[in-house]
Amino acid sequence: MTLLHRRLTKSDLNELLDQSPAEPVQLCDAHRASLSTRFRAVGVPGHRRLDAWSVERAGRSGSAFRWSPSTARRVLGNASLRRMATHSVSVRDAVRDELGDQMLRAASGYARSGSLSHWLASAPHPVIGLVTAEAVNWVTQLQEIATWIEAPWAVPTSDAYYDVATARTTLRARRDLVVHNDESRTIVRVRSGAPGKSAGPGLRADLTIESLADHDGVAPVRYIGLWPEAGVCLSVDGTMSDLRSGARDLVRTAVAQRRRGTLLAA
Amino acid sequence: MLDSSPISVVEALRGDRSKRPLIDSASASGLRSLLEDGIFEIIGAQKLDSPLVVRTSTLHQRFATTDLAQSTSGRIRGVLIGQLLRLMSVGMSIDHAFDDAVTAWRAEVGSGELIEQLDALDGDDRARLATDIEAHCVTLTRALGEIPARWMPRSGVRATQRLAGGNVVLRDVVDLMIGTPTSDVASIALFDVTTSPLGEGAERSMRYHALMQTLRTSVMPLRTCTFSSATGEIWIRDVDYELLARSVDDVLTSVRDQWSIR
Repeated sequence: MTLLHRRLTKSDLNELLDQSPAEPVQLCDAHRASLSTRFRAVGVPGHRRLDAWSVERAGRSGSAFRWSPSTARRVLGNASLRRMATHSVSVRDAVRDELGDQMLRAASGYARSGSLSHWLASAPHPVIGLVTAEAVNWVTQLQEIATWIEAPWAVPTSDAYYDVATARTTLRARRDLVVHNDESRTIVRVRSGAPGKSAGPGLRADLTIESLADHDGVAPVRYIGLWPEAGVCLSVDGTMSDLRSGARDLVRTAVAQRRRGTLLAA
Repeated sequence: MLDSSPISVVEALRGDRSKRPLIDSASASGLRSLLEDGIFEIIGAQKLDSPLVVRTSTLHQRFATTDLAQSTSGRIRGVLIGQLLRLMSVGMSIDHAFDDAVTAWRAEVGSGELIEQLDALDGDDRARLATDIEAHCVTLTRALGEIPARWMPRSGVRATQRLAGGNVVLRDVVDLMIGTPTSDVASIALFDVTTSPLGEGAERSMRYHALMQTLRTSVMPLRTCTFSSATGEIWIRDVDYELLARSVDDVLTSVRDQWSIR
């Protein structure tokens, strides 16, 4: 495994970006078919969703998701930074514009129940204030990191999703910045807190899902995880061995989830 | 160091840009080494089952003393004032300080021990707390003034540092931070608000915030300050190596205290 650990500084981050492997590897149809077969062997009654977080928690389910200022900050923050790349506005104004758009979506009937827009539209004034504060924190932090990066970067419009054919399984990879370098790409992902012992497998899972989600199966040359609260970054390279390990971890997580489901049912 | 609030706390924190020192990105590694060496002298090479955790609250008082700010009502008041500061930092108008703070807090944490204790207050205690919060809010609003968006204010900024292979974890939350670490000159100013009168513990907190910010970003902040919404007092300190080294001593003292009772 090609796990690297660095301090989160401008020079270390650019070194990680500059010294990424030159040639990206590519997944083929046989790889996709093989993964699908393995997931089909781990059947579940409903639909299964897996991501790096579920890999890091070895399939243990956490508390049910609910919208809150801290769960809303990343969606709003990334959209605000995308807005700032095209309009010259302050962080605070970009966040307010994004909040306005979200609420307009709900007012015009385009937001489904349970969506961020729907929640924001019914949130009281102080909650909107706290959502703004959280999103401003996120954008300021991400903008600082992006400013450090010397290569061209972009904020992706969404996370990477991959539906495993006929296995009722959706995989999601978190990504916050895509850094382009010639024909290859490096993905930067930002997380709160400090990396735990399973942070490396989590990064590999994201790397594998991102590669599967690419139309041509081209893997990013490096996946970099940033933990600004701890001031550290980890990276894994887009090698075939890391991609295989990532796929194995995802299947293992599915197995662990099914075992837990069986135990609960018993 | 100031004993009373200047016209605008934020203006005082930013100061004169032409007089700011160049950023210091060399001291962080030395401070980290001091901490690692100091912890090794206390704990040794053994691996602990659960880490020793250092926070501002563990630095405030030595053991066997009582800190009124850590009482239930003191903690609730502190949390609510922290929520109001977050709303102010993004220019939100505050109509009813107590209600707005409670609404924001509930949205963030959902449920918890402190919220249950707030809900358990009878009508009189709740009214007293609401009046108290209104008074603290007025003091804070007057001192803080408007925070311009170009100074990049962010609130409730968290930091975590694992030391000695995870045996010691340092945790911190800075109430308000302005400035950017990407500038050529030192620009980060840290603002902490307390609902208690300022004392020795507040000074330790100021130093700790500066140390944690230095360890997190590898860049030394410009200033650190603490403001009492109870008295309107403010202490502002320029950050230098000596101040950070004192905070290292504070942290090691806390680790030694916690280790001695294990």
